[in-house]
Amino acid sequence: MIFAWMVLLTVLSVGFVVFPLLWQRQVPSAALDSTPAVLVDQLDEVQRDLDRHVISTSEAAAAQQEIKRRILAAARRATSGQVADNTSGRGTLFLAAFFVPLVAVGYYAIMGSPEISSLAYADRQAERAEQQKITELTDKLYARLTSEPNGGASEGWMLLGQTYYRMGEYARAAAAFETVTIRDDATSATFSMLAEALVSAEQGIVTPRAETAIDRAIALDPSNPAGVFYKSMALAQEGKEPAAHALLLSHLETADGFAPWMEAFVAQANQIAQTLGRDPIALTDYAPMASGGAGPTAEDIAAAGEMSAEDRGEFIRSMVNRLAERLEENPDDLNGWLQLANAYTVLGEQINAVSAFERASTLLSDLAPSDPRHRVVEQALSELKQ
Amino acid sequence: MTPEIGHFALALAFALALIQSVVPLIGASRGKLLWMQSARATSIGQLLLVGLAFGALMRSFIISDFTVVNVASNSHSLKPMLYKIAGTWGSHEGSLLLWVLILTLFGAGVSLFGSNIPDPLKARTLAVQAWISTGFLSFMLFTSNPFTRVFPPPADGKDLNPLLQDVGLALHPPFLYLGYVGFSIVFSFAVAALLEGRVDAAWARWVRPWTLAAWMSLTAGIVLGSWWAYYELGWGGWWFWDPVENVSFMPWLLGTALLHSAIVTEKRDAFKSWTILLAILTFSLSLLGTFVVRSGLLTSVHAFAVDPERGLYILFLLALSIGGSLALYAWRAPMMEAGGIFKPISREAGLLVNNLILGAATGTVLFGTLYPLFLEAVTGEKISVGAPFFNATFIPMMLPLVLFMGVGPFLSWKRADLAGVLQRVWFVALASIIATLVLWYLQEGGPLLAHLSILLATWLLLATLREWAMRIRLFDVPFSEALRRARNLPRASHGMTMAHAGLAVAMFGFIGSSAWKVEEVVFVAPGSTIEIAGFEVTFEGVERVRGPNYFADRGTLDVTRNGESITTLFPERRYYPIAESSTTESAIRSTLAGDLYASIAEPASEDAELSGAWTLRILYEPFVNFIWLGSTFLILGGALSLSDRRLRVGAPKRTRATSALSTPAE
Repeated sequence: MIFAWMVLLTVLSVGFVVFPLLWQRQVPSAALDSTPAVLVDQLDEVQRDLDRHVISTSEAAAAQQEIKRRILAAARRATSGQVADNTSGRGTLFLAAFFVPLVAVGYYAIMGSPEISSLAYADRQAERAEQQKITELTDKLYARLTSEPNGGASEGWMLLGQTYYRMGEYARAAAAFETVTIRDDATSATFSMLAEALVSAEQGIVTPRAETAIDRAIALDPSNPAGVFYKSMALAQEGKEPAAHALLLSHLETADGFAPWMEAFVAQANQIAQTLGRDPIALTDYAPMASGGAGPTAEDIAAAGEMSAEDRGEFIRSMVNRLAERLEENPDDLNGWLQLANAYTVLGEQINAVSAFERASTLLSDLAPSDPRHRVVEQALSELKQ
Repeated sequence: MTPEIGHFALALAFALALIQSVVPLIGASRGKLLWMQSARATSIGQLLLVGLAFGALMRSFIISDFTVVNVASNSHSLKPMLYKIAGTWGSHEGSLLLWVLILTLFGAGVSLFGSNIPDPLKARTLAVQAWISTGFLSFMLFTSNPFTRVFPPPADGKDLNPLLQDVGLALHPPFLYLGYVGFSIVFSFAVAALLEGRVDAAWARWVRPWTLAAWMSLTAGIVLGSWWAYYELGWGGWWFWDPVENVSFMPWLLGTALLHSAIVTEKRDAFKSWTILLAILTFSLSLLGTFVVRSGLLTSVHAFAVDPERGLYILFLLALSIGGSLALYAWRAPMMEAGGIFKPISREAGLLVNNLILGAATGTVLFGTLYPLFLEAVTGEKISVGAPFFNATFIPMMLPLVLFMGVGPFLSWKRADLAGVLQRVWFVALASIIATLVLWYLQEGGPLLAHLSILLATWLLLATLREWAMRIRLFDVPFSEALRRARNLPRASHGMTMAHAGLAVAMFGFIGSSAWKVEEVVFVAPGSTIEIAGFEVTFEGVERVRGPNYFADRGTLDVTRNGESITTLFPERRYYPIAESSTTESAIRSTLAGDLYASIAEPASEDAELSGAWTLRILYEPFVNFIWLGSTFLILGGALSLSDRRLRVGAPKRTRATSALSTPAE
């Protein structure tokens, strides 16, 4: 549909360029110089002024004489002017017309986003209802936790904090985590999550309050990757880039095989290395099995099998994220979207699953109606939206 | 889909602009009619495509399509519909799109209505116009794309700056841009004339309607902006000599000079260099205005460096167009034939004085506007050049202009009879002096400059009316005869009278509301009464009210005079939670004699807040409405002049009703 419009507009634009060829006029417009006409009108005006006694007779005579002189001069110039040629040059116009689709399509191929459909606010009722439901659930959880006499279960607060974090409400997330940090069952993860929320709330700046949380996280578990990661960030922001870089590298050295946090570490280390003028490092130097392509390889799955339950969860998460990133770059991959949607369904992330299925359904129109994937998407969407 | 079609249409318009920049120009120099005529269709094509893009963006705003980044950043689902539409040009990208739309509108206008313009001149003019649109379309497509998309879209938009959510300001940019960009076609005509090496009476007449149309729109745009500042900013001022205002005022000053200079070129074949130079400079100042406002240079010289891509691109465009056109002028202008000669006392000389004063005044405003920017860029020192500078430099320069304006229309071309003119105006001068002295006595003194200005405004008004009366021989001949003469007088003549009188009327407003303004800023608690300019204003208290996308504290003020109830005023302090900012909605009791103007602001201290006290600013501004009245006369005068049939003289008679697209072979 959109491409039909584009073709139509292009044809129209080409038409504008070759228009003189289609409706050619034999007589050039205003081929005759209109200067004398303007001057003759001025002569009339002098006469009118004279009739109204605005100017004297001698003034009028002088003005009329001068205008007549100019009419003569204009007439002389007009006869010596070159004659316009109104037939040649057709080839150039056709060539110019060819240039129109070349420029427009060339530009649009790089800068356009034809895959994104427009979405009126009024048509996004379902999405808002979903948001509303999550907000209500979080509110309910919050109300329950605060009403409990023991201050609410720590797991509940952690869940609330993580939900707020995903909603982008970093300050509230930090408050939820903080409730747990003063309790005895606070773990290193509690402090690193608090640190993460505080840093996000300040748009990536490590505040003293965040740094305290980072230090506590590391004190409780020196191997907590999130703690180490934010420690390096704090060091880099204090101007201690070499120490930050060394910390990241030393932690990467301790890794045994691949872990999902390593990618972020490598990226961070390379960013710091750039300011220090050092050579970048590669993930494969530390985790040789992580050299796989887009999807999970046999080794990845084998590696996942050997992991603890928590590590495996994170591992799957990073796989899914990688797939999602790849699809943003290459959004026409229907099977990729279906794979991603299924993964989200398994992870229990309903909104993401719905959005992935919807992205998949936009690609279905190109398929034959008998294709079984129509039914798969339809069924999944109706189930998820219940 | 709609935004993508808009985006694609812009790319197509860019391609057409590129073709139109080259083909007609070569066609004109080689005498190839087909190439010259290609500009006519492509300029209309550009208008349709850019119009389509503008419509697509507007639709995205209307339906709140937040997959368009520009909509998400500048609109909100709860915003009233009018401001959703106005949001289309509320942002940097959107206003550029409007800029280019108007640019193509004027190009297509010349193409459609310029059937009396010879093909080579028209081809060159449209090619130059296409250079400008190529520059701005590429600027938009590569650095400021209004159709950048985001997916998934944010839940709702960030809202438009609430100060801009106002009727006056919703309409201000389109008019201002019609004026700014309208001068582009005059610029294109000037550059085309330089390329052609020919400027004559006919050229001046072709340029005149476009100059007038641009000048009228710019006047309307400036007045709307000033009116908005008056009632929305809550200070009761209508002009702040702010750089944003100055950059729109400079093209107006030079555009006014251009309007007058072109008359001399038309009638006397003189001032050719002046007219061409003024046409180039007027549009150059419009470009400068666009650059200064759009590059973020004003917020701070350093904001420019935050987004250097945009700033540098537009600076490059500016240098290219101004530098290029001035270089062309320096090269070609000396070759133009000199025009008619004139004596020191003549209408030409009067208009020369007009050009000189308006040029010097523009230079003064330019200096006052750019000096702080240069100083900050070079030394880092931040200074502000405000009203005191302009009052000391600009106003003394304009007052002699008003003196000349009164007498100028009496002067005849080539050589005028000074004694005869003085004989006609001596009692006008006398009447003005008497009126001023009476006012002086009634006001028991007052600022000298204000009285001098009143004297000159009265002089201008009376002299203008005297000149008009003389033209129709009012009182010399029977009234019915005078009426017949008035009907036969060219409309341009009535237009001049109206515009000149309009300036005089507006001057009364400028002077009255500046020199005799009364202002009180007080803390008020419910029940307290302030006396100002003969009114008693009682503050009844403040209540909280809700609007569609804001909530407001609304104050109630009872106004009485000598115990008699006059009106109730409701000034508001509005808070827009989504945009996280506040605005002042002033309340005004408007009469021709003066405005009673009230606005409220939060109390200055917490103690005051607890006791329910508010800061109340209350002003009485005599004659302030004369500003808008006089400005309306200026615009109507321009419109009258534009409707003059003489502007259509020279059109081939029989093709009058046919458009450029459907002219049959004859």
